[in-house]
Amino acid sequence: MIFKIAAIGIIVAVLNQLLIRSGREEQAMLTTLAGLIVVLSLLMTQISSLFTTIKNLFGL
Amino acid sequence: MSILAISFVGVTTAVLSLSLRRYNAEISIAVAVVGSIIIFLSVILNLSSVYETVSSILRASSVNSAYIAILLKSVGICFLTEFASDCCFDAGQRALANNIAIAGKVLVLVTAMPLYKDVLDTVLSLTGNSV
Repeated sequence: MIFKIAAIGIIVAVLNQLLIRSGREEQAMLTTLAGLIVVLSLLMTQISSLFTTIKNLFGL
Repeated sequence: MSILAISFVGVTTAVLSLSLRRYNAEISIAVAVVGSIIIFLSVILNLSSVYETVSSILRASSVNSAYIAILLKSVGICFLTEFASDCCFDAGQRALANNIAIAGKVLVLVTAMPLYKDVLDTVLSLTGNSV
């Protein structure tokens, strides 16, 4: 999971640089945003599993 | 997960997060958060055996079982608060982190309030007064 997110980050950074160099700044920004949303959705599943575990374990 | 694997995951996450910070600060924070969640989840599942032991000890000493629930709830609130506060601190939001810590303290206090009331009742009954 960690490597997956880090790989997404590296790919997004490379794409961002490429698009900026070729003069498409809006698309570069949109790519960064899309990468961020993908990473946040991955993060959300992890956080929800953490929260359910804690909820079950401690009876919150 | 053994301590070897946990240390490996921690160091790898730190290196990845540090190398990503220059290009993508948001995703670097996400990597750090996911690493800490993975370590926390792998460890916290061992805690259920501790819970069994503690609750059996408390049951043997005939302590009210509501107290065990309050104790566990406070521990859970502390864990969650610490986690969220540290994540905010890593993201550079010190005010948010401190506010989450204060909220955790207040909620632990609110959760433990019945215990204080019981202690007060006990003291009052020992001194012969009643509320």
